Amino acid sequence: MQLSTNNSMQAATQNITALPGYSEDVSIWHHMSEALHQSLYRVLTLLIAVLPGILAFFVALLVFATAGVLISWVLRRCLSWVKFDARIAQKSGTDWAPASSPTEIVARASFWICVLLGLIIGVSAFDTSYATGAPLPISLLPYLTHAVGAALLLIAGVVVARFLARSVLISAVNAQLQYARILSLGVKWLVLVLTAAMVLDHLQVGGNIVELAFGILFGGIVLTLALAVGLGSRDLVSRSLESHVEHTGERTHIPDEVPTASRHIRHF
Amino acid sequence: MATANPIPDNTQTAENTATDLLVLVTPMAPEHFKGVLANLESAFSPDSFVVATQNELPADVPSSLRVVATPQANAAWSLKPIDFVNAARYGREHEAKAFLILGPEADSLSPLALRSLADAVLKASIDLAVPHYSLPSHAGLINSAILYPLTRAAFASRVRFPLSIDLGMSPRMAERLAGVASAISPAIQAEALLWPVNEAVAAGFVTDEVDVGSRAMPQPSDPDVNSLLSLITGSLFADIEAKAALWQRPRRPPLIRRPTVEVDQSDGTEEVAHMVAAFQLANANLQEIWSLVLPPNSLLSLRRCSTLDPAAFRMPDDLWARIVYDFLIAYRLRTINRGHLLGTLIPLYLAWVAGHINVMASGTPAERHIEAVAAAFEADKPYLVARWRWPDRFNS
Repeated sequence: MQLSTNNSMQAATQNITALPGYSEDVSIWHHMSEALHQSLYRVLTLLIAVLPGILAFFVALLVFATAGVLISWVLRRCLSWVKFDARIAQKSGTDWAPASSPTEIVARASFWICVLLGLIIGVSAFDTSYATGAPLPISLLPYLTHAVGAALLLIAGVVVARFLARSVLISAVNAQLQYARILSLGVKWLVLVLTAAMVLDHLQVGGNIVELAFGILFGGIVLTLALAVGLGSRDLVSRSLESHVEHTGERTHIPDEVPTASRHIRHF
Repeated sequence: MATANPIPDNTQTAENTATDLLVLVTPMAPEHFKGVLANLESAFSPDSFVVATQNELPADVPSSLRVVATPQANAAWSLKPIDFVNAARYGREHEAKAFLILGPEADSLSPLALRSLADAVLKASIDLAVPHYSLPSHAGLINSAILYPLTRAAFASRVRFPLSIDLGMSPRMAERLAGVASAISPAIQAEALLWPVNEAVAAGFVTDEVDVGSRAMPQPSDPDVNSLLSLITGSLFADIEAKAALWQRPRRPPLIRRPTVEVDQSDGTEEVAHMVAAFQLANANLQEIWSLVLPPNSLLSLRRCSTLDPAAFRMPDDLWARIVYDFLIAYRLRTINRGHLLGTLIPLYLAWVAGHINVMASGTPAERHIEAVAAAFEADKPYLVARWRWPDRFNS
């Protein structure tokens, strides 16, 4: 009797554990926990694999930057000692006149070359460790190279735009063009728009939209400049045309209002 | 580029014979060269000088005249480094005791002027004899506005024409200038300018001025003030930068100056309006660039000037001196590109010229105004020295 009672109780217990709701609940928690553990494990493994790469990146950058500082200091001393600036000035005259002295340019260039070298080596080390650590062989280097190239393009574009804008402004003012500022701004934005399009193209962002937008903007600026210059110079052009019509066959003479062409004044 | 000797007959007699004076005549038109030879014959006895030139000898030249041919070079409006190298070379060969370099259109110099230049070296033991020309009041304005006042203030030299195109020199002065000229790269020899007065001061040689009267001044092939001002001022700024250790030492300028004779007080007032308009346009557009070079006080003064009518326009002497000094400092510091810097100086120079013409129109002699400008440069020299040494003190 007792035995039959025990058997019936076991059967009841088995029936309870075999209830469908209770069984699923346990399984979800179990799977979730397992998935989280696995994910955490994967991320930690990746971090552990990448960490030496990050460390290598910073070490390479630091070492090469320090080397750059040393090299530029030594170069600066040596070039000053051999009077490099004076020699360059004697050879090139005053035509080549950047904002810094030749010695300073060489010293700075050597430093930045070292930093760039450190960056490349650091990124390469990071890329290698990331590729081995990741389950998929994803490489960061090409994209970073593109980004660095785009940044250099942007810097060069801004410098060139500024230089050209200033050159045009000064020349136009000295030629007494009333629209000097518009001309200068137009040239500046032409170069900046061109630079922006080149940068986006280099980063492979935007595709056809960039080309289209660039074409519209560039054409718009050129048209604006042409209108501004054309309207500003219409008197000069009409005088020139009238003179040409009146004196066909003779040399066209445009009245010169620029003060530099003085009849009385001799500057030298 | 050496070519065949254009004057074979006279060169035979000129070789390796000692002479008192070597006269180097720069390339010029045949009619001018003929005039120079005639004046030289009038000024000196034929056996006392040798002419070194690349010009072709006229047919009717006396056989007693001794001439040596120099290598061919392009004609220029100023003395070029090669002229100093040639002078020293041929002077050495002929053991010359004095040198005379005559620039283009030197036929307008009288025999007396040539004699005076040579005598200053031969008899008065002057190392560098610089002519003092009597030019029309509206000529040589870059010299009057910048070259003379700046050279006078920096090097304590009273020479009125530091970029003279005729010179008398002692052998040691000729050798020094030839040394400086040789150090210049051949690539820029054609455009390079030498500053003999600055070199003489640097070497501690004796310099003096010789009144030579009027002279026809040759004009550059491109007389555009934009390129001319940049070329000449840039060269002087570079020379001052190279000799910074020298001119920062206090020097006492020589007190005696010969009285100058005013010649043609020609009228140029119709040009004033154009020049003032150029300045006003620049004032409206170049403020951003000027503010990198000039202190706020100067900018404010320029704004005030830009509101003046052309007829009443004046550029105060002390403001002009301060502007030139600030541009010199910016040239040294490379605050902006040097081409841009000198480009932005042009409207300011035109403003000075407009003011100068108005001053003359008011009855003040041109020379008196130029002397006042030079005095302003001298008075403000401590500012230049201070900013040269401590450029950060911008708003003093």
